Amino acid sequence: MIRMYVEIAKKVFQNNIVYRLDYFAGLINALIVILVNISIWKAIYEEEEVLGGIQFRYVITYLILGVLLQTIFMMDEYLIEGKVNSGLVSMDLLKPMNFKAYILSHNIGVLMFRLIMQFTPALIVSMFAFGLLPPFSLLYMFYFIVSVVLGYLVLYNLNFIIWMTSFWFYKTFSLVTIKDAAVTILSGALIPIWFLPEKLVNFIELTPFGSIYYIPISIYLGQVPPNDIILSLIKQAFWIVTLFLLGHILWKSAAKKLVVQGG
Amino acid sequence: MAFIKSENLVKEYKINVKKKGLLGAINSLLIPEYKIKKAVDNISFSIEKGEMVGFIGPNGAGKSTTVKMLTGILVPSSGEISIGGLSPYKNRKAVASKIGVVFGQRTQLWWDLPVIDTFDLLKFIYKIPDKEYKKNLDMFSELLEIHKFMNQPVRQLSLGQRMRADIAASMLHNPEMVFFDEPTIGLDVVAKERIREFIKYINAEKGTTMLFTTHDMQDIEKTCNRMIIIDNGTIIYDGSIHEIKHRFGNYRIVEVEFQKEYKNLSFAGVKLINSDGNRKKFKVDQTLMQVTNLINELTQKYEVQDITIQEPEIEQIIRDIYQGGICLDKNVC
Repeated sequence: MIRMYVEIAKKVFQNNIVYRLDYFAGLINALIVILVNISIWKAIYEEEEVLGGIQFRYVITYLILGVLLQTIFMMDEYLIEGKVNSGLVSMDLLKPMNFKAYILSHNIGVLMFRLIMQFTPALIVSMFAFGLLPPFSLLYMFYFIVSVVLGYLVLYNLNFIIWMTSFWFYKTFSLVTIKDAAVTILSGALIPIWFLPEKLVNFIELTPFGSIYYIPISIYLGQVPPNDIILSLIKQAFWIVTLFLLGHILWKSAAKKLVVQGG
Repeated sequence: MAFIKSENLVKEYKINVKKKGLLGAINSLLIPEYKIKKAVDNISFSIEKGEMVGFIGPNGAGKSTTVKMLTGILVPSSGEISIGGLSPYKNRKAVASKIGVVFGQRTQLWWDLPVIDTFDLLKFIYKIPDKEYKKNLDMFSELLEIHKFMNQPVRQLSLGQRMRADIAASMLHNPEMVFFDEPTIGLDVVAKERIREFIKYINAEKGTTMLFTTHDMQDIEKTCNRMIIIDNGTIIYDGSIHEIKHRFGNYRIVEVEFQKEYKNLSFAGVKLINSDGNRKKFKVDQTLMQVTNLINELTQKYEVQDITIQEPEIEQIIRDIYQGGICLDKNVC
C-alpha cells in the first residue's frame, strides 16, 4: 500500500530536479532573503547587543531558521487547482489510489527535494557565514525536529483547506495570497513573535499560525521551558487534527460534487 | 454474464443559467438560477467480455457522461450499472484496477520525466507483478515501438509517440476493460493505422473488452463489430456495423461524364443529385434499380466517357442519422 505513495514521492523528487535553473535560483533566493533579513535587523539593533531583552544573536538565529523552514514548507499551491481546471482530477480518480494520500505524497516529494537540495546547503552556509547558533541542547534538538514535522503538518492541513476550495471557486490565487500573508505575519516566520504587540500575540495563540514556525523555532532556541514542551507539541497536534478534519469534510463534499456534477 | 450491464441509466445535471450582459452576469453571481438538464436519458445496454464496441454520437449527445458513469467517476441520477459484477461508483478503487482509460486529448504520463518512469510508477500503483510487468512492457514496446523513445522526457515526444506511450500505460496492468476516448485524434494516417492494429491485436490476444468513443468512423469501422449510437441522451442504434450499412447504405452514387450535355435524364429509382454540364451525379436506390442495369442503359443510349461508382461511406450514413435524414426507429417515423 505505502509503497505506491513512496514511489509517487520519489517521482516528484525526480521531476523537481529536472528544472536546474529553478533549483539554483531557489537556493540563491533563500540565501539572499537571509542576508536581507539580517541586514534589516542589524539596522534595527544599531550595534546594541540586546533589544527588549532579546539578544541579537538569537534574533539572527530565529530569522535564519524562519527562512530555512520556509524553504522546506513551500508546497505546490496550485496542484489541485490545476487538476480541477484541466479536468485531470478525474484521471487521478481513475487510478486505484487514495486521492488525499496521493496529494500528500506529492508534497512529501517536494519537501524531500527541498530538504536535501535547498535546506541542507543553505543550512551549511548559514552556520559558517551568518552565525547560526547551534540548538539549545541535544534533547531540544530532538524536540525541535518533532515540532518541525508537526509544524509542517499544521501548514499542510491549512493549505489543503485552501486547495479544496478550488473545487468551487476554480481560481484560488486570491485566497492563497491572503493565506500566505496571514501565515507570514502571524506565524512569526518574518518577525519574531516576541516583538509583536501583546494583544496580537494573544490572538495568535488562539490560531494555528503560531504552531507553524514559532513553536519549533522557540524550542530550538531553548525558550520553551522543559515542562511546556510537551504542551506545545500537543497544541500543534491539536491544530493538525482540527484542520485535518475540516479539510476532510471539504474533500468529502468536493468528491461528492465531482461525482454528482462531474467537476 | 455480460461484463458491462447498464439498466435504465439516467443522469441529470443542474446547470447554472447565466444571463446575458453585465447586469445579467452580476445577477447570476448573486442569485444563481438553475435548470435541470438530462444528459443521459434511460440508457440500457450490455457488453459481453471481449467485445469491441464503438460508442458514437454527435457532440453533447451524452457519450462522455455515460463513459464517466461506467468508469465510476460520476454517479448516475438513477438506474443501475455493473462492470465485472461491481458497481463502479460504489467500488471506485476496485473497478479502477480492472479498467484502463485512454484519452486522446489528455495524457497520464509525467510530462517532465522519461516515459519509462511513468510506466515504473504505474507498476506500483496497480501492483503489477514483476514478471507480468516485464512481459507487457516488452510486448508493447515491440508492437508500438516505444523502445525508441522510452528514455525521452514526455514533453519532447511527438503526438503519435505520446499517444502510443499513453495507450501502453493504460494497458500495463492487463485491464479487463479499456475505454478509448478519441484515441487517434490529431494523428497521421500511418500512426492511426498502427494504433488500430495494436488495439485489435490486444483484443484478440488478451480478450480485453473495449469501448471506443470517437468521431473518427474509420476507428470504429476498422476495429469494432458493434456500434451504439446515442443522441440526445438516448440510444438510437445498437447493432452491427454491417447491418447499419446494409439497412441505410443500400444505395450507390454513380458519377457519369458524358460526351455531350443531355437534358431531362430520368430513370426509375435514380435521383439526379448534381448536374454540372456534362457531368452528372446520380443516387441509385438499389432496392429499385440495380447499378449494372443503369450502366447498361447509360452506355447503350448515351455517349459516355467515364463512370465512377461509389459505395456510401459509413461516415455519410452517420451524418445522415445525426441530421435526421435517416430515421432509425420505425415506430416514431
